[in-house]
Amino acid sequence: MGLKKSFVLAAILGLIAVAGWEMYWRGQGLEPNIDDTDNLSALQRAKLQNPKEDNVVFIGSSRILFDIQLDLWKEQTGTEAVMLAFQGASPLPVLRDIVDNTEFNGTIIVGVTPPLFFSTTFEKAPPISRAQERLDHFYDQTYAQRINHYLSIPLQKNLAFITVADESWDSDVDLGTLLWNQVQDERAGPKPAPFNQFEDVSLDRNVQMTAKATNDTAYANTIKLAWQDLLSGDMPPPDKKSTTEFFLEYAKKFEEKGGNLILVRCPSDGWFKEIEAMGFPRAEYWDSLVIRSKLPAYHYDDYEQFRDLNLPEWSHLSKEDADFFTTEIIKIFKKDGVLTNSKTE
Amino acid sequence: MLFNSLSFVVFLVIVLALYYSKIFNWTNKKRLLLFASYIFYGLWNPPLVILLWISTVVDWTAGKKLAVVEDKSKRKLWLLLSMLVNLGFLAFFKYGDFLLENFTALMNAVGVEYTARPMDIILPMGISFYTFQTMSYTIDMYYKRIEPARTFLDFALYVTFFPQLVAGPIVRAKELITQFYSEKRATANQFLWGLFLLTMGLFQKVVLADTLLSGAADEVFGSKEILHGLDAWTGTLAFSGQIFFDFAGYSTCAIGIALMLGIHLPDNFRYPYAAIGFSDLWRRWHISLSSWLRDYLYIPLGGNRHGITRMYVALMLTMLLGGLWHGAAWTFVVWGALHGIYLVVERLLKGLIKLKIKAWNGIILALLTYTFVNITWVFFRAREFSTAKNMIWSMFFLNNEGEKVLYTFEIVKVFIVITGLFLCHWVMRNTSMKEVAQKTNPWIFGIFWAVLFFLIVISQGSGEQFIYFQF
Repeated sequence: MGLKKSFVLAAILGLIAVAGWEMYWRGQGLEPNIDDTDNLSALQRAKLQNPKEDNVVFIGSSRILFDIQLDLWKEQTGTEAVMLAFQGASPLPVLRDIVDNTEFNGTIIVGVTPPLFFSTTFEKAPPISRAQERLDHFYDQTYAQRINHYLSIPLQKNLAFITVADESWDSDVDLGTLLWNQVQDERAGPKPAPFNQFEDVSLDRNVQMTAKATNDTAYANTIKLAWQDLLSGDMPPPDKKSTTEFFLEYAKKFEEKGGNLILVRCPSDGWFKEIEAMGFPRAEYWDSLVIRSKLPAYHYDDYEQFRDLNLPEWSHLSKEDADFFTTEIIKIFKKDGVLTNSKTE
Repeated sequence: MLFNSLSFVVFLVIVLALYYSKIFNWTNKKRLLLFASYIFYGLWNPPLVILLWISTVVDWTAGKKLAVVEDKSKRKLWLLLSMLVNLGFLAFFKYGDFLLENFTALMNAVGVEYTARPMDIILPMGISFYTFQTMSYTIDMYYKRIEPARTFLDFALYVTFFPQLVAGPIVRAKELITQFYSEKRATANQFLWGLFLLTMGLFQKVVLADTLLSGAADEVFGSKEILHGLDAWTGTLAFSGQIFFDFAGYSTCAIGIALMLGIHLPDNFRYPYAAIGFSDLWRRWHISLSSWLRDYLYIPLGGNRHGITRMYVALMLTMLLGGLWHGAAWTFVVWGALHGIYLVVERLLKGLIKLKIKAWNGIILALLTYTFVNITWVFFRAREFSTAKNMIWSMFFLNNEGEKVLYTFEIVKVFIVITGLFLCHWVMRNTSMKEVAQKTNPWIFGIFWAVLFFLIVISQGSGEQFIYFQF
């Protein structure tokens, strides 16, 4: 049958084809990057099994994930960040998990994005389930999944076409996404606006906006369109009462354990700022939460330096301004003495 | 561990390197394979390896006793012990919640107020496969059809051999244990053919099942609406392809990996969608299960030895239990029942109509068989009867008013893949991949192999489990 000949030819052609594929996508401007997977989150969550005294935990949604730069945080506070904020998620399940299942009693910084924070406590609703699935993966992760994660890192770091994310972007270049991008018809209704990748992720889950999303206005506009498309349907009304009660219950339990909580409202802009102002008026939501919780709280709008920042797609800061925001908010925290375990006082 | 994962690639390379190194003799190579098999299974959930050990020890002991004990009642007791342990594991781990749910429903139906919390038992991966495999050894020993395994190591490796441990093929002792008695080493051609089969299996799983078909099937079966007829048919056809490529892909990988070690595993699929009639289908689909059910259930139930009525009852019972083997839900029972009815009707019709199969009517009958098979897939895939009912309604009445959930591009994609699948099965129905490969120019074959590899790499996949792992 000449299998040896076939194998040698297949190996050579296969490798040439894969190399060509990589070169083609590099030529299109694609860069290798790490994907924010549930395996990456599980590693962060694992740090709380034996928490260090200098751990500071961030919980919330994508805003605090993008806007706090962990390298600067460590440099300027001397504390080790544990990033447990998740895209499109509420911080409530994470707070519950930390209180119920860990000995951690340091500082938790809670990113409050009103449409997500005050959305719901219903376990199957996406803001809760998205966070809970990440936490569940920490508990359910198999040894094989851990090994797969470690083995995938060199590939993610060196090959632009590799995607291992649990959620796909429309700018991914795996065969499934490339085929999906060929859909032009409207038989099943208008196709959702493409949601393109705009994050660079490091292994410690430090997330920052890509240079492309920051500098290419047309590209940033595709993400703005995707936001409008995603949020233009009928959304369930917020559940301020139950979310607030849930938060206060677990905040109290955490404080009883000796823990320290800080609330942070990260910036938003443009269309996002408008709908948040309309749907979640500050006095009714943020101020009410602050008054009832009696926690140290920081709203970007109260600080002159945070009022004119660059949010290329209305919701997250550019890398440059995320650096600025991180540096400035640390100064404010230090001035107020709310970071109890900072080593650089 | 999944075949379509990076950890498996590393695992296989290490196992092959050690297996073909000169540092081990044959006994130690078997120990290596056994140890590797426990690692393969344990990396998913280490404590569940204990179930494998129990099953191994119980059936080894039962088999050893059955080899020497002549007293009929004692022989029966040893057989019963094996059945009790293996079926007990299945009943508890796989059917525990299902039995509890039905018990609760029955109590409520007769007016007894009873509520029970689901036990939420973890389903050990591949439990249905390895329990059936070990039971076949003890049953064959009981009927004195086979010799006992020569050593405990041979037997433990037979139960645990990693290529086919979690999703088959379900191999009989006489087909596998005897291969462990002398040193096995793949020839260069066997090794490369095994590697090709592994590539082909991964292509079926990663590219065809997961990338090209699963999306449409999930979208359609995930919908709560009454669907447009075209969507219902597309989703069902997509699932028929997905489940074939997923399961046949696993079997092809398993056969390929074993062959790379010099071990031969039997075929599990022979182009089933080209089957003409349902007896033919079950000679081509999941062959190792259907032959298991024939030999250990249908024939002991009487088979065709006690008249027509008894034969039909045996057939129906076999198919109902075969359905239940696939999953703890009534939808699987209905799937089995439909196949049972098809087989009964086919036998009745065969007595009435004498048909000479030629190429032109053969393909029409194959298409007809495939269409009927698709009706059964609706019950297999639907999680609830309401979904199945809506789907069948849309499919039969070609509902034009129903919800459209698929884009035209997806429909065209599914129809292209499924047409290709059906024609491929029809062309290949009386031949094999190896025969075709032998007739193909090596350079053309090399290009084909490279294309498969490239498509697997660019599909990437997300490490989704094989569907049959849950059975």
